Amino acid sequence: MKVDPDMSMNGLRDVCVVGTGLIPFGKYPDKTLADIGWPAVREAIQDSGLSTRDIGAVFCGTALGGMLAGQRLMTKLGVSGMPIINVENACSSSSSALSLAWLSIASGQNDVVVVIGVEKLTKFGGGVLPLEREDWEVNQGMVMPALYAMRARRYMHEYGLTREQLSQVSVKAHDHGALNPNAQIRKRVSLDEVMASRPVADPFTLWHCCPTGDGAAAVVLAAGDIARRSEIRPVRIVASEVTSGLFTNGYRDMTWAELTARGAKLAYEMAGLGPEDLDVAEVHDAFTIAELMYYEAFGLCEQGGGYALLSSGATSLGGAIPVNPSGGLLSRGHPIGATGVAQAVEVTRQLQDRAGGHQVEGARVGLTHATGGGIAGVDHGACSIHIFVR
Amino acid sequence: MTLSDTSTAGHLISDRLVTTDGSGAPRLLAGRCESCHALSFPRADVCGDCLSTDIGTIEIASQGTLYSYSVVHQAPKTWKVPYVLGYVDLPEGLRVLAHIDAPPSEVAVDAKVKLSLGVVGTDSDGAPLSTYTFVPA
Repeated sequence: MKVDPDMSMNGLRDVCVVGTGLIPFGKYPDKTLADIGWPAVREAIQDSGLSTRDIGAVFCGTALGGMLAGQRLMTKLGVSGMPIINVENACSSSSSALSLAWLSIASGQNDVVVVIGVEKLTKFGGGVLPLEREDWEVNQGMVMPALYAMRARRYMHEYGLTREQLSQVSVKAHDHGALNPNAQIRKRVSLDEVMASRPVADPFTLWHCCPTGDGAAAVVLAAGDIARRSEIRPVRIVASEVTSGLFTNGYRDMTWAELTARGAKLAYEMAGLGPEDLDVAEVHDAFTIAELMYYEAFGLCEQGGGYALLSSGATSLGGAIPVNPSGGLLSRGHPIGATGVAQAVEVTRQLQDRAGGHQVEGARVGLTHATGGGIAGVDHGACSIHIFVR
Repeated sequence: MTLSDTSTAGHLISDRLVTTDGSGAPRLLAGRCESCHALSFPRADVCGDCLSTDIGTIEIASQGTLYSYSVVHQAPKTWKVPYVLGYVDLPEGLRVLAHIDAPPSEVAVDAKVKLSLGVVGTDSDGAPLSTYTFVPA
């Protein structure tokens, strides 16, 4: 019997990232969503060395980009005719698109697909993100910073975390982002600046919160046999999963990121890897507390140990497991639907040893994590995790 | 302030969530599935445990414990900032998001709180908006 080296035990094909593209995140109020997006897609296709004729399908993640965002963007590049699927899953929009694209290749449906994350938040004119008005909590005053701030407040109460300690998450994020030419905020901030900036949702000041802005990112995925023929260093996707939050209208431990922890377990099982194997991670640090809670949910430390891990330097560049070397959402920016693919671009480039000034030396295994969506009754609406290996 | 006062002090964000009892005190309205007795707040139209649509309306406790809170300084212009927003755990096992109508210095995690009514913002025409709130017990 002939054994196909590209088929794994479960009958799924190997899937690789063969091209990446990313525009600097920032504010582009005068550009259309399509014009924000196409340069990232063009870069990813050119990076892959493949032709636009090879593209079997396009998966485009955007949360607030409106109808047919993928078509609006791809037609600018003269690419049309194939299935173009637009995916909305709040902050997990493009990471969910990535998971669908992964399955499209793994299942044999397509050999080459393009995945896009694109968002233009400047069209809302700044301030907190507009949330779903049908949601009863939103109608009682819920805003995203307050949701995370309540997690932070309870965490501080239970674990004795101080404002100074929480603020150090922001200092670390901006130390990293200052090294990333594609970050929206390329500026270091001091602990004093973080603590003295204007309050947004106590205990968060401005620097505890990711900025709103615009951005686009794209990856080209290919089946393993095609990827190995290309000239660039392909990066394999060894885990791809999407989960949704568990509904309850009762009590919930807000200091524990249940949804992320559940997804992490699935992703680790799928990859046959564990937290000890990770060399780099891009996690959903929309607000400072989130980064500490996700250290714990991903098993990088024990519950309540998030700050100890941060202060040890392990998650900073040069540490054992740098987290958010790009600057993360806090510094690279968080044009919500674009984030998942931007993380995939970042981790792929890290594993290809071409991340530049914020390179994690010798990184072989990387993880991305985008979760979000503020609706009543769930931890978050959606969560998507991917693990990459070179 | 009672519900009848809100006709002059503003209109309720939603009259599905709160009513007043015989003495004029506010009471939260929850749902209870007549089939499996699962509780919901706000009252659900369909039971998330058994899919029954036979959901009764019940009044629930007016005292609870503040699980966590935040002082919100940046929000859509509907809301009168800064405001305190918190999750209140009720003895029935329900957790309710609410404005906490108290100075931030008087708000604490795990504090006992009780139901009230208050003006929390303005609608698009500038008229005051009221809703249930919790205050320190």
